Amino acid sequence: MTAAERRLPSRVRRSVVAIAAVALAFVILAPLTSIDAAQQAGLPLLTDKLWFRIATTVAMFVVLASGWNIIGGLTGYASFGNVAFFGLGAYTVGVLVQNLGWPFALALVAAPGVAAVFALIIGLPLLRLRGHYFAVATLGVGVAVGEVVNNVGALGASTGLFLPIVRSDLIFFYLMLGTAVLAVLTTWIILRTRFGYGLLAIRENEEAAAVIGVNTTFYKVAAFCVAAALTGLAGGIFAQWNSFINQENVFAITDNVQMILMAVIGGAGTVLGPVAGAIALELIIQTLAGGGSGAVYSQIGLGVLLAVCIIFIPRGVIDFFGGRSRLSLRYFRQTLRETSA
Amino acid sequence: MSQFTQQVILGLLLGGVYVAVALGFSLVWGILNIVNLAHGALVIVGAYITWDLFTRLHIDPFLSLPVDALALFVIGYALQRGVINRVIRAPLLFTFLLTFGINLVIVSLLLLLFTADFRSVTPSYSGSGLQLGSITIPYIRLGGLLVALLLAGVLWAILNRTRVGAAILAVGADRDAAQLVGVDLRHIYALTFAIGAAFAGVAGGIISTFQSITPTAGDPYTLQAFAVVILGGLGRVSATVAGGLAFGLIEVLGQSTPGLGSGYANAIAFVVLVMVLIVRPRGLLGRLA
Repeated sequence: MTAAERRLPSRVRRSVVAIAAVALAFVILAPLTSIDAAQQAGLPLLTDKLWFRIATTVAMFVVLASGWNIIGGLTGYASFGNVAFFGLGAYTVGVLVQNLGWPFALALVAAPGVAAVFALIIGLPLLRLRGHYFAVATLGVGVAVGEVVNNVGALGASTGLFLPIVRSDLIFFYLMLGTAVLAVLTTWIILRTRFGYGLLAIRENEEAAAVIGVNTTFYKVAAFCVAAALTGLAGGIFAQWNSFINQENVFAITDNVQMILMAVIGGAGTVLGPVAGAIALELIIQTLAGGGSGAVYSQIGLGVLLAVCIIFIPRGVIDFFGGRSRLSLRYFRQTLRETSA
Repeated sequence: MSQFTQQVILGLLLGGVYVAVALGFSLVWGILNIVNLAHGALVIVGAYITWDLFTRLHIDPFLSLPVDALALFVIGYALQRGVINRVIRAPLLFTFLLTFGINLVIVSLLLLLFTADFRSVTPSYSGSGLQLGSITIPYIRLGGLLVALLLAGVLWAILNRTRVGAAILAVGADRDAAQLVGVDLRHIYALTFAIGAAFAGVAGGIISTFQSITPTAGDPYTLQAFAVVILGGLGRVSATVAGGLAFGLIEVLGQSTPGLGSGYANAIAFVVLVMVLIVRPRGLLGRLA
């Protein structure tokens, strides 16, 4: 990505500023809208608890999609095991807080560390694999770690772990939001360093990258560890926020597919693509999942949407911002021609 | 000792089911370079057809297998020709995600058509088996293994003894060269996927005879087909057969190992899988090219 491509035209910039202003207003006004004290004082509510929960979930998926983007989008290694980092982060906080009595803040510092160390251990052998083989091997790691956790008594086995409930929508919203900002900043910084250029070189042609002096093993493992640390941090926050974790809610492979979708639909390999994808897709999912009997139709809708996005806008919606492409029939025809038989 | 023999036999019988599930998956992966995440859903479509024919018309499950194959062949051809062909030249991840979306749609449609209730096919002989000394071999499992081996033979014959098979192999080896010598790529892609889907349908028919089916029952089979192909290696029918039988054995023997239980079935399978990948990234019997 060159400097010229990064410069946004004013039309797009204005809309980005507008969206950012709304988001910022929400963030700043949030304390007025949700804390119980404000409710008791009769202050007007801008949002309700449900929306707070949704906003926190959106922020969480921004972290997960951005984390996946670092290894999947920048480095080109489509990991289906990132959910293992999320689960490990969650269980680290769970065990330290519940079983060992650590304060949450201290446990939260440990979560990304544990996830990163795990990424280092599995990354060294697995990052030698490519394409489908890497995807499956990481998928296997995700399934296997979840299953082991599900069978170990000290980790609550199939019952799961209950954490002391902390009643504060605000704390978790801001924690998640802060982590999301951290994830985006990390991606932004990586893309502006030698490290980032190394990762892009590996994505485009690993042999060539090695030839020009990129230490590919170190770069790949480091990217995997950074992705793991961010994902693990989100997992740690989720554990305390949800105050209940088990195999199903922190090791769900569907979550992993979802973070990939978000990054890809938004625009993999870009800084803001995963953010756009996470916000759009999570809001669609939450809206579709509204009704009870409508759940089936929402799944069909999601599947069709996914197929349409993959077929017609494979470079992600971020492609339309920045003036590189315009949303038009010609664009659809062109992308179709590029990929179809 | 006879306990161990019984376990080995059960493992091989279970492996037969994995062979049936993995044959079509392996064909589509090897030729089209698509990891079909909707494979399990196609398997379950076959299972529902068998169930429907059994409950409404009382047709023996093994007799309805050709119907499964035919129906899934048509569905598979339409899916590839109409949808997947559109992204066949896109990066791996895109076909991966597209098939995940197709999986979501099929599972949801099954949910609408058949609800989430458990359905089972119970022919009169479903409880009985062949008794050899202290060892029991359930008839339906034996039938499943035989059908799986028959399928493997049919696939081998199609690929190596017919003109269409030669075209399919040519497309798998080099798409552009195949097109140059006059192979209609779109048709061969669709045909390959259709054959894979037809095999999935037959596998589903077999599965319905020993397991209760629900719309989501196929998802584990996609993962297991994956594992089988990795274990055996891509590109040969015999490798898939060996991989499937080995995977069934590993699963049954692993679960009966002291200290491990049925809760570790997937973990054992995937630890083995990851180790195979690390030692031999192309599978135990896979071709190097």
